[in-house]
Amino acid sequence: MKKISFSKALFALMLILLLALAACSGGSDDEGSDDSGSDDTGTEEGTDEGSDEGAEDEGGDEEPAEEDDGLYSVEDFAPSKTNEGEAIEGGTLNFGLVSSSAFEGTLNWNFYAGAPDAEILAWFDESLLGNDEKYRYNNDGAATYEISDDNRTYTFTIKDNVNWHDGEPVTAEDWAYSYEVIGHPEYTGVRYGSDFTNIEGMEAYHNGEADSISGIEIVDEKTLKITFIKATPSLLTGSIWPYAMPKHVFQDIPVAEMQESAAVRENPIGMGPFKVETITPGESVTYVKNEDYWQGEPKLDGVTLKVINPNTVVQALETGEVDMVDSFPTDQYPDNAEMSNVEFLGMTDLYYAYIGFKLGSWDAEAGEVATDDSMKMSDVNLRRAMWYAVDNNAVAENFYNGLRWAADTLIAPSHPEFRDESIEAPTYDPEEAKKILDEAGYEDTDGDGMRENPEGEELVINYAAMEGGDVAEPLANYYMQAWEAVGLNVQLLDGRLQEFNAFYDRVGRTGEDDPAVDIYQGAWGVGFDVDPRGLYGRDAMFNFSRYSSEENDQLLEDGVSEEAFDVEYRQQVYSDWQQLMVDEVPVFPTLYSAVLAPVNNRVQNYSIAVDWNAPHEISVTAEEPVVAE
Amino acid sequence: METNNVNGQDQVQDTTKSPSGASIFWREITRDKMALISLIFLVLITAFVYGISLFLNKEEIVRVDLFSIHQAPSEEFWLGTDYGGRDVFGQLIIGTRNSLSIGILVTLMTGIIGIVYGLVSGYFGGQVDNMMMRILDFFLILPFLMVVIAFVAIVPTYSVWTFSLIMTAFLWMGIARLIRSKVLQEKELDYAQASKTLGSSNFKIMFLQVLPNVTSLIVVTMTLNLAANIGLESGLSFLGFGFPESTPSLGTLLSYATNPQTLEYRWWIWVPAAVLILLLMLAVRNVGEALKRAADARQRRG
Repeated sequence: MKKISFSKALFALMLILLLALAACSGGSDDEGSDDSGSDDTGTEEGTDEGSDEGAEDEGGDEEPAEEDDGLYSVEDFAPSKTNEGEAIEGGTLNFGLVSSSAFEGTLNWNFYAGAPDAEILAWFDESLLGNDEKYRYNNDGAATYEISDDNRTYTFTIKDNVNWHDGEPVTAEDWAYSYEVIGHPEYTGVRYGSDFTNIEGMEAYHNGEADSISGIEIVDEKTLKITFIKATPSLLTGSIWPYAMPKHVFQDIPVAEMQESAAVRENPIGMGPFKVETITPGESVTYVKNEDYWQGEPKLDGVTLKVINPNTVVQALETGEVDMVDSFPTDQYPDNAEMSNVEFLGMTDLYYAYIGFKLGSWDAEAGEVATDDSMKMSDVNLRRAMWYAVDNNAVAENFYNGLRWAADTLIAPSHPEFRDESIEAPTYDPEEAKKILDEAGYEDTDGDGMRENPEGEELVINYAAMEGGDVAEPLANYYMQAWEAVGLNVQLLDGRLQEFNAFYDRVGRTGEDDPAVDIYQGAWGVGFDVDPRGLYGRDAMFNFSRYSSEENDQLLEDGVSEEAFDVEYRQQVYSDWQQLMVDEVPVFPTLYSAVLAPVNNRVQNYSIAVDWNAPHEISVTAEEPVVAE
Repeated sequence: METNNVNGQDQVQDTTKSPSGASIFWREITRDKMALISLIFLVLITAFVYGISLFLNKEEIVRVDLFSIHQAPSEEFWLGTDYGGRDVFGQLIIGTRNSLSIGILVTLMTGIIGIVYGLVSGYFGGQVDNMMMRILDFFLILPFLMVVIAFVAIVPTYSVWTFSLIMTAFLWMGIARLIRSKVLQEKELDYAQASKTLGSSNFKIMFLQVLPNVTSLIVVTMTLNLAANIGLESGLSFLGFGFPESTPSLGTLLSYATNPQTLEYRWWIWVPAAVLILLLMLAVRNVGEALKRAADARQRRG
């Protein structure tokens, strides 16, 4: 029968189509925020950036014995690659830039906006100042510095052998020039901010009232002196702009046109270990070694960087298409932990996820938060009970296989110096949560199983959570279930997850807080600088909870005062602040996170540690990457 | 309109009355094994999902369970669990019911709107027809998917009903055009003209006399539309503009496969839904084809 065979053919065809449809990715890319480098305000992050998913294949066949609980820990990973075998002369490294979209190609530190561009920049241009594992500038970089007695004036000396790729020396004038460009009234980038206005004379220059910046003095060809208005320990953790700009290349280009110029887009030069050879816009960049690199000639002949889609990272690594990637989606780790041709490097991410409570609104006129005591979430007991009600350990272990872990204070383990481990934050205890609610007067008076507020009115808490990332939905549901279990009626705002940008708009990124939001689930990528003023200060727009108090103001101010140059004093201040946040619960942290970077076995001397700055030492042991067995 | 069977027996038994539509359809479907199997399958699966879901606790099924994430199929979870520790089998049942409900609702609503619109437009003709068709053209040129996505984003509550209404708003044009063109022919026929001469109201001619004569066309089109509409919901959900995961549908189950890990290692989450969508659409289509043949004497097999 002809008809039947036609149906069968159709069936087969549709099966193929369906498989193809399913294979096409809807890859969740929620890297919606710009990484603004040394910006100490932190960056908005998707709650689930990197689309992390707790995934343990119970039916999996080859689980090593020691990992039979399916859990991993950041402690299991080293930040540096172990070296095996003999390095060969030269060789080319293949670097994968994990991104589901093309890179923008604004290849200058002064103008770039997206995180992918920063990865590309890092290979050919570098900071003049090195930093230690505590994120502080040290004297190991291409320039050294001295601080005056009043901590306000910094004198930098660029080392003699530091040259641009075209052979011209990197001079103090080049460094000063990048300040002049960023501060220029016609500057088109995103860098100009409080870090720059803290330089003497910068605002006058920016407003066009002065031709030069009075606080920046070029002492001689290699010596630069910068005077700041206010001395703060933050200066050394990223508030000094450490990138020079080749003035001899840019001087004839008007500032307004620089961002679009060929010197930024097509043939950028830097002072790093590799020179840009070719750029295929949005797709790949090839580099050759810079024999004149100030730390010595690189061991590699060159580097090829290409964009890899998050959904094909595993395949690209297995086949040796790339030797390493900038960030590996941790949700794919459990299924691929056994990949034979790579070593996974890992360390703590500069990141925490949190639940925030709306305690007020933004007063645009005064430019500060307006805390309101009559908000739905204004009762600290309610907030603390909600913290006790959720089991972040279970979330971390089951959704993230231990690659995220329960958080307790608002200073992440990426800043061990200021993090106070001794603070006792609430942990999962639903009975305690119920007790607190009972005592605070939140009781079920109408017998519907849900608590009413102390006035006896129905209490419905609107919860804003963002989509993106694979476990966003079950995670949000889990939290609501956990709160329901202690009798709190928490409903998802609009009954669904919010899109990344809509979420932050409604939470208050522009200062127009949506009054419908009572609580929200967000995440911060924190900067090198521990100073939390940008996220919790009275005048911080990003203080989404709109919490403020005299004590908080005082502690945050003390943390960046001159006394805070004394590390012990600063530790005490931030310890007090962490305790205050645990007591007041304007937000509570939920999870800290690990970052993973797989590296091919042939690669040597590579590291993802913060104080690592020896890209010229990277070498390979074979011409071709090792392929997975 | 129907040709009588030349079979001798039939002629002896009944030479004046032509066989009823239902009996023609039944004869057609029994001659086509594929269509028969499809019909049985459809009836069974519909009865099954609507029946079973009466006894299933939806709250329980969409409840996130941290301690049973990604379980492979077992006795406790017949089709394993997804990344929220939720039972895939239960989601499949409720999902199929939701997807079917949407398909049927959308088909019915587009059918009703389309029929009335087409009837009025075709019957009155002239300026009325001209104007109504231009309005229809306007709806036709709207970029369907974009507009639906925009609507999905702004509706405050998202349920089977709102979803169906949004879809209906942009899917009634095809059937309206079809009915109109048929009615344009039909109203010129003697019976319609005669009725008009005898003073029947327009309403009566349209709905009681012309409409029954285009029924076969309506039934066939709507059945074939049903198959498309089930797929439409799945497609939108797959793209992320369908239901939240707390309202399972075949599309949301399928969309789990966008995760490469799920696609590669956890077939039980998405394969059943994919197969079911396929079978449902094929089955509805097969039945629709049989109906189509039954409605058109030239294509009939028996």
